[in-house]
Amino acid sequence: MSALARRAAAILWKDILSETRTRQGFTAMLSFAALVLFMFSFAIGVDNDLLGRLAGGLLWVAIVFTGTLSLGRTFQNEELAGGTRLLRLYPGDVRAIYLGKLAGNLVVLAALEVVLFPAAAILYGVDFAAQAGPLLLVAALGTFGFSVIGTFFSALTVHLRARELLLPLLLFPALVPVVLASVGATEAFLAGDPLGRATGWLRLLASYDVILFVVCVWIFPVVLEE
Amino acid sequence: MNLAVVAEGVTRRFGRRWALRGVDLAVPRGAVVALLGANGTGKTTLLRVVSTLLRPTAGRVQVLGHALPAGEDEIRARAAFMTAGGHAYEELTGVENLRFAARMSGKTASDDDLRGALAAVDLGGAADVPVRAWSTGMRQRLELARLRLRPLELVLLDEPFVSLDEDGVGLVHEAVRGWREAGAAVVIASHRVDDATRHADEVVRLVGGRVAAGTA
Repeated sequence: MSALARRAAAILWKDILSETRTRQGFTAMLSFAALVLFMFSFAIGVDNDLLGRLAGGLLWVAIVFTGTLSLGRTFQNEELAGGTRLLRLYPGDVRAIYLGKLAGNLVVLAALEVVLFPAAAILYGVDFAAQAGPLLLVAALGTFGFSVIGTFFSALTVHLRARELLLPLLLFPALVPVVLASVGATEAFLAGDPLGRATGWLRLLASYDVILFVVCVWIFPVVLEE
Repeated sequence: MNLAVVAEGVTRRFGRRWALRGVDLAVPRGAVVALLGANGTGKTTLLRVVSTLLRPTAGRVQVLGHALPAGEDEIRARAAFMTAGGHAYEELTGVENLRFAARMSGKTASDDDLRGALAAVDLGGAADVPVRAWSTGMRQRLELARLRLRPLELVLLDEPFVSLDEDGVGLVHEAVRGWREAGAAVVIASHRVDDATRHADEVVRLVGGRVAAGTA
């Protein structure tokens, strides 16, 4: 394992250990996500056909809203521990900090989706299991894109006074391609992909993920500069 | 003279406020320098510049042979900065905090090594207790334990005596003696003049972001 990977793994280990000790953040996120899914269900009412058609979009809105809560906490524990910038005092590439935090967000969101997908299937009456493989790919790519840019903006806003407001303001516009492609691919797969549109959405999602990842990793050291 | 730190005309501005105004500083290897001054005179800012955390607005800084910003990574591997508030994760125990620090420094430390470092600062009994249950003084001792994990050539201490009891202050003095004997340069920024100057080979007093005449 390279020094960069070892240091990123150390940050992931520390964050997961802290999270499992408190569980406050994850429990609150899970409750919020369930609330969002229920609210959509109540708002649309008993029209099962409409709920089924909108299920992909509603699910991704729930993931984005709940994930934003998680992103806001990404660097806050560093601030409580004395400051994110103190991590820069350790020798080695500071990109390890970004990669470790990104991995932590991926783990939290994956754990969240393990609960959200079945919950949405029950509430909205859709059969995710029939397209489990393709939907798993969409979830992986969508979650990766969301986490890549979210982790970056979380670092960028951590020292700002109005960070709770600024994080979603910066994040949501940048997420438009990720959400569009994730929702498009999810809905296409749920409908059996009769027009073969899913592949196009997946290509867009994968391309955007790669571009975002390269750019965010490249410029992350500047974010930690004072 | 073999110098660990050379700062020439270092200036640092935060917005419209000048924290440092043309500071010159020379710290020989194996020497202890006490950095004194009232609140807001630039002591912490100067340490942050030397530690590579902060870039100066103007001026030249050379640390362990590297002219900043070059060689920052090499400097971080050979130097350490103990901040006033400490750097500890509340939900992790003392051993886990040290294990994290060791891994981030690229060091492999056994459980015995980590517990030994904690025992050396009288934290052996709290090694498996989450830091959230610790006092401020214990956290300060944890910082000392963190510095003991690797050999250092430059040690920057920002208010190292704050929150420590008499034994804790003694541990800082013992550590400073040890570093000096090992040939490391030590810079101590503190309000506690007696403690900061006890081992000092040189005293530098900052006033309004400048070195006061006759103290460097």
